[in-house]
Amino acid sequence: MRISMRWLGEWVQPLPEPEELARLLTGAGIEVEAIERLGQGLDRVVVGQVLSKTPVEGSTKLNLCTVDVGQAEPLSIVCGAANYQVGDKVPTALVGAVLPGGMRIEARKLRGVMSHGMMCSARELGLSEESEGLMILEPDAMVGTPIARHLELDDVVLTLNATPNRPDWLSHLGIAREVAALTGARLIWPEVKVVEEGAPIEEKASVAIEWPERCGRYAARVVEGVRFGPSPRWMQARLEACGMRSLGNLIDVTNYVLLETGQPLHAFDLDRVGGARIRVRAAGEGERLVTLDGKERILSTDDLVIADAERALVLAGVMGGEDAEVSESTTRILLESAHFDPAGIRRSSRRHGLHTESSHRFERGCDPEAVRFALDRAAQLLVQLAGGTVARGVIDQYPGRREPQAVRVRFERTRKLLGAEISDEKCRSILRGLGFEEVEAEGGSASYRVPSFRVDVSREADLVEEIARIHGYDAIPETPSRPQLVAPAEDRQARVVELAAEVFSAWDLDEAVHLAFGDPEGDAKILREEGEYLLLRNPLAEHQRAMRISLLPALLRTAVENLNRGVERLGLWEQGKVFLPRATRDAPVREEERIAGILLGPALPRTWTEPERPVDFYDVKGMLEALFAELRLGELRWVPVERGFLHPRSACEVRAGDVPLGILGELHPLSAQALELPRGVFVFELFVEPLVRLARLTPRYQGVPRFPAVLRDIAVVVPREVSAAEVEAVLRGPKGAGLVESVLLFDVYEGPQVGEGRKSLAFAIRYRHPDRTLSDREIQPVHDALVAELHRALGAELRG
Amino acid sequence: MSLSPEQRARIEAARDAALAEIEKASDEQALERARVFALGKSGVVSELRRSIGRLPPEERKPFGEAVNEAIAAVEVALSRRKEDLEQQRLMAELTGPRIDVTLPGRPRNLGRRHPISRAIRDLLRILERMGFEVAQGPEVELDYYNFEALNFPKDHPARDMQDTFFVDERSIVGGNFAPGTVLLRTHTSPVQVRELLRRRPPVRIVAPGRVYRCDSDQTHSPMFHQIEGLYVDCRVSFAELKGTLAEVARAIFGPEVRTRFRPSFFPFTEPSAEVDVSCVICGGTGRSSGADLHLAAPTPDPLRPEESIGEPARAPSDGETCRVCKGTGWLEILGAGMVDPEVFRHAGYDPESVSGFAFGMGVERIAMLRYGIDDLRLFFENDSRFLAQF
Repeated sequence: MRISMRWLGEWVQPLPEPEELARLLTGAGIEVEAIERLGQGLDRVVVGQVLSKTPVEGSTKLNLCTVDVGQAEPLSIVCGAANYQVGDKVPTALVGAVLPGGMRIEARKLRGVMSHGMMCSARELGLSEESEGLMILEPDAMVGTPIARHLELDDVVLTLNATPNRPDWLSHLGIAREVAALTGARLIWPEVKVVEEGAPIEEKASVAIEWPERCGRYAARVVEGVRFGPSPRWMQARLEACGMRSLGNLIDVTNYVLLETGQPLHAFDLDRVGGARIRVRAAGEGERLVTLDGKERILSTDDLVIADAERALVLAGVMGGEDAEVSESTTRILLESAHFDPAGIRRSSRRHGLHTESSHRFERGCDPEAVRFALDRAAQLLVQLAGGTVARGVIDQYPGRREPQAVRVRFERTRKLLGAEISDEKCRSILRGLGFEEVEAEGGSASYRVPSFRVDVSREADLVEEIARIHGYDAIPETPSRPQLVAPAEDRQARVVELAAEVFSAWDLDEAVHLAFGDPEGDAKILREEGEYLLLRNPLAEHQRAMRISLLPALLRTAVENLNRGVERLGLWEQGKVFLPRATRDAPVREEERIAGILLGPALPRTWTEPERPVDFYDVKGMLEALFAELRLGELRWVPVERGFLHPRSACEVRAGDVPLGILGELHPLSAQALELPRGVFVFELFVEPLVRLARLTPRYQGVPRFPAVLRDIAVVVPREVSAAEVEAVLRGPKGAGLVESVLLFDVYEGPQVGEGRKSLAFAIRYRHPDRTLSDREIQPVHDALVAELHRALGAELRG
Repeated sequence: MSLSPEQRARIEAARDAALAEIEKASDEQALERARVFALGKSGVVSELRRSIGRLPPEERKPFGEAVNEAIAAVEVALSRRKEDLEQQRLMAELTGPRIDVTLPGRPRNLGRRHPISRAIRDLLRILERMGFEVAQGPEVELDYYNFEALNFPKDHPARDMQDTFFVDERSIVGGNFAPGTVLLRTHTSPVQVRELLRRRPPVRIVAPGRVYRCDSDQTHSPMFHQIEGLYVDCRVSFAELKGTLAEVARAIFGPEVRTRFRPSFFPFTEPSAEVDVSCVICGGTGRSSGADLHLAAPTPDPLRPEESIGEPARAPSDGETCRVCKGTGWLEILGAGMVDPEVFRHAGYDPESVSGFAFGMGVERIAMLRYGIDDLRLFFENDSRFLAQF
């Protein structure tokens, strides 16, 4: 909302300076977004009158004029425009002026003639985009008056941001009320006097409210004999200052009263209202109305329309229609001032995608009691600006009239809630100053009649807020926070994520955060799997039309972008939810917390100390093993699986027992191809829920061994298909007689030394007895039993 | 019986030859050779020992004793020589060439936390120390929790304060939802309602999380992060809200930071406030010298205070307008207020016996101020050159 200080000053006096006013309003909850001084650059431009005009020798266009600018001597000015005559009044820039476009006016010679200033066009003054010739001012303009003052441009405009609960702040009157309450200044109501003439209005028009739930009040006046024409300069200036265009006096009046009082009005060309009958009714299903923006609207029975005997004329409270709008030929006007149900206006406004000055105010709630004042104010202005006479009487149907409600406030409770010592008397004077009328006061509480413009007040809490607001939040003390003596519950998920973050940090993965949207088509090309997506009704972009079902597509796309920036080595991880569109008893969808990551490029930063090596499966696995060890998950199974986006040779699922914890592997070459990623990208995605459930976050001490261990290496040759895990399982199995403490695989060899289709695995076995030092004699039979079992179960041979 | 001079001479010759070899050895290999020469299987001294058996019995004892003496002498010499050589080697090493200490160390980079995670972690640490317990809620919410229970009535313009992403309920398998009832939460405030329903007073929780608004440009991201705090107990006052948030602001931005509370409107709190802190870049002056205008920097939506702070954060030079606070001296960082009785009603609490306050802040905005990040979009682009800086 743009507020003109000049306009505001007519309603409340005295008015503080703009900065002080802005400070006051901000302190009262009306955010001031900008303070704008109009007419800047017009400091040395005044009203001048052309006294004489003689052609400059040797020029077909230029004239030498003498121009009275209110100084002792008229100025000699050379001018090239053609649209003026001697006697005209024009804006004249004096020497030293710097015009809004940056042009500096200096005394200079043109065709050998000295020119001491410049007569200006509207464009040169920054008042319009283009203009033909000089700006010719009204004949009654005072010579020598600064042009800004003459054009009423010496104004300051405040841009206010009114919160949606305060529609009463959407007018100059409303802000004036607030200023009066804040400063104690006087609110000045303009004198509104409507001179009525001729036949009574009932003979000229009729109104029927057929849907009183949606239209609580409808008032109308008829003004006849008006003439369409431009509005006077002062009105144009004010409308423009408030961001509206002047559209001629008949329309400007309604807009002016809207900005002044906050009450939206509508002007009908009465001759185009069929039967001179106004019906306020529900639209028919499918009824059509061409609104003023030229669009045909198909209405529904939830739309309220203002209609005549035959057809809908206006989408009530939102936008007029073309049929009965005022035009240049209009002479008889029916002025509407009404009150509509806010929720209904909002539904219509949203259904038709029409947000107007009118709907903005009606959907927030207008003052039903302001209807009549605004109507009379408009009628008075209309006669003043467009001539004509006002028909006798006024139609004012008010089925929604309500008694003003009373709200009680307890002052002690107010003090407790605010934590501030505000006396009963202070509270009462604040509320009275805001227009709340005290109807009853007793024993530390009082009842107030709520002004009809305060649609936001209906409860004690609302009055407490008013007291706090005017008392000033600054004046309320700061009380230290009370200590809390309840031990907070352990946040296991946060702990697990923190541990993961530490492990990933140690492995040099940076954390990423992506928007949680998904792209069903695009993601399918990467994941190469069918997926059910949760779709959005109103996505911002095609590739964000769903919620993600995996964290990997976004990570992989980011990888592409980073590679394009010249990055060679990348490790990224991310924690977040994926959304599975399956309703449960408690929630519309399943939100599953995941942790995912990608690695590509060299495994380690490039360094002179060792040769470069590309990252591989075992880097990812090692990192995850470290994480699972942190979570103390115990024995895990690494199971080959098939997934659309994983290379079949390394696609792996890790499980605790039968519970899947996540997947890992090399990105499938076709997924990489779809993204134009190189080969050798490794990915993982973990399910946070089972990790949190199974993690043992509190360590449990186990006695440190008191007797030494004995280390024995063993190298076996097995068929290629035998997995390391199978060999290890035997070594850790019952044949170890409980003496095998740990098994470490330290070498894998495939090649000519062991023969085709075979591989050699070398393990370091650590034997230990809890109660005594083991001798070689004790170990040997166990070791031999293990070798025998390996041979029996897996066909393993000792490597010679 | 004593040793014959010949025998003595033989032993001494062998001994001396061995000692000479030892003396000559200039490194450990040479010393080893000397040891073998003297005491090896066929070493000169070992030979003497073997010859004992060939002597008449009565000569054996004195001869043996003399040989043992010689062996002992050789062993002493050997070990002395060994020590000398070790000493020499150590001296040589200590005075020898240096390695190039300017060669780079073996790199082990540490991965970095995302600045949003950092900011959330830091904020939670502060709030947890103040007794707030972390609570979480779903990101796909029902209209009831996101709006209705928070006193956003249906068909009320207050809902326009938050452009909402609606879920296409037809894409949900199972369940039967009316159009427009399932949405992406627009703020973390629904957690307030859920936690009030789940707990009994005193309730002191903090809810961090992702939220969504249907709006995207340079200064708005359709997904961003908020942290919500809620305290409900008996006799909680606005003054306590002020005290708590002033403390929070000092913990985030430093002990000299001032706070300012301005009246505002949120449907779920009353009275409501927007909370500004004195600008952390210019120290609250708006410029390095000049007037304090007491105006809020324009923020179209206080519940979404993650918008760009414009130019990179830096102290303005003398007289220049501070770009971070746009010359106002203040930065809006929080929305807050006393819990509205309507929220208590939905949660089944009696507003006559309990009161409370709630506050919310935009994590991105705090992160931008703390780390001097000048463009909101950087958070979600995940440029590794950006991520590596935190």
